[in-house]
Amino acid sequence: MQEEHIPQEDLVLYAMQAMQSHELAAVRLHLDGCAECRHALAEVNGDLALVAMSVEQKPLPVGARQRFVERLAADASRTGGAVAASVISMESKRPARNAALWIGCLAAAASLFFAFSLQQKVRMLSDQLAQQQQAAVQQAAANARAQQVLDVLTAPSAKRVLLTAAKAKPEPTGRAVYLADNGGLVFQANDLGQLEADKTYELWIIPANGQAPIPAGLFRPDPTGSASVVLPPLPKGVPAKAFGVTIEKAEGSASPTAPIILVGAVAATGE
Amino acid sequence: MRTKGGDQQAMTELFDRYGSMVYSIALRVLNDPGQAEDVMQEVFFQVWRNPKAFVAGRGSLGAWLAVMARNRAIDSLRRRRPTDSVDDIVLVSQTDIGSDVERNRMMEKVRGVLKDLPMEQQKSVEMAFFEGLTHSEIAARTGDPLGTVKTRIRSALMTLRKAIGA
Repeated sequence: MQEEHIPQEDLVLYAMQAMQSHELAAVRLHLDGCAECRHALAEVNGDLALVAMSVEQKPLPVGARQRFVERLAADASRTGGAVAASVISMESKRPARNAALWIGCLAAAASLFFAFSLQQKVRMLSDQLAQQQQAAVQQAAANARAQQVLDVLTAPSAKRVLLTAAKAKPEPTGRAVYLADNGGLVFQANDLGQLEADKTYELWIIPANGQAPIPAGLFRPDPTGSASVVLPPLPKGVPAKAFGVTIEKAEGSASPTAPIILVGAVAATGE
Repeated sequence: MRTKGGDQQAMTELFDRYGSMVYSIALRVLNDPGQAEDVMQEVFFQVWRNPKAFVAGRGSLGAWLAVMARNRAIDSLRRRRPTDSVDDIVLVSQTDIGSDVERNRMMEKVRGVLKDLPMEQQKSVEMAFFEGLTHSEIAARTGDPLGTVKTRIRSALMTLRKAIGA
């Protein structure tokens, strides 16, 4: 009884190696004895070849051709006998001794010489063509990369970010909240440098009326560089123009000593 | 094919003609230039060492190399030994794609046909052909019945065959 042929779905999967391993044996067995299915499989392979060949062409990696040629040469040198044998087999037999044969041989030799020259020329041109093709592929790759660069630079949706050198050490900052009416002040500072034992930071209020700076508290940072001054004793009703921080002797100072470590003007909104 | 007998020059010419195609197919599957180059070298070295594996009756050389490249790339992707012998690959090509011009024209047509396939068919072909999934794995991934997966892949190829043969 004639066995049923392999359904085309299964031939496709077989050709794609997309079958489960336990299904393969039955298909192979049938293919061995069925020319019709083998032909159908060959047609499927032809279809798959088209799918494969439709892949967008990419240039070879730099040096890939050279690596291939070198590997080829190395392999040929190991198995050179076969090459030599094929060359030797092309040699013609000994010429006959009569004149007619001599003439014929001379003509043949001339033809061979001409053919050899022609072959050399063809090879040289082939080499040149291969080099030009390789150069064209590399040029195409360079063009594609240049286009990619241009696309990135001109894309409206691209994010543009300016990067600057990262500071190894963060700058100290301070934030003062001041209520002039009742003389309330809260001050918080971060990333302050550590001080010698006989020094302290001192906070100052610079009055808006041009009077001398008013000392607003002494403080030293904790190991993380943070410090705060909360509700120091201050006169009420003194509008501030600015705040400043200086380094003073441990007991504090009646007037600020340069340089000013931190300074901040009171903004129109009050902070 | 002139590589019979170990002609390095002929082999280099073969590489120049088809190297980019073989590499591109392997790269499409593997998405890794280094592995793709390894596959490309393996394919050409199989031809170099066993030129009798390809005979003209098996189809066009380019098509044969294309199938070899795809199958070896899938083997590499799955980290398995080659699942078929080069002698196993026999193909019938409906078209003569001997010249570069003809080949380029044909490939444009093939791309157009594949692009116009229903999305489910495109995905099934993509997963089976370029990702090397079995039909069971595709069914598990998509949640579709096995029979549906098979039909989609076959239908996609039949559509392609009809379009190219038309």
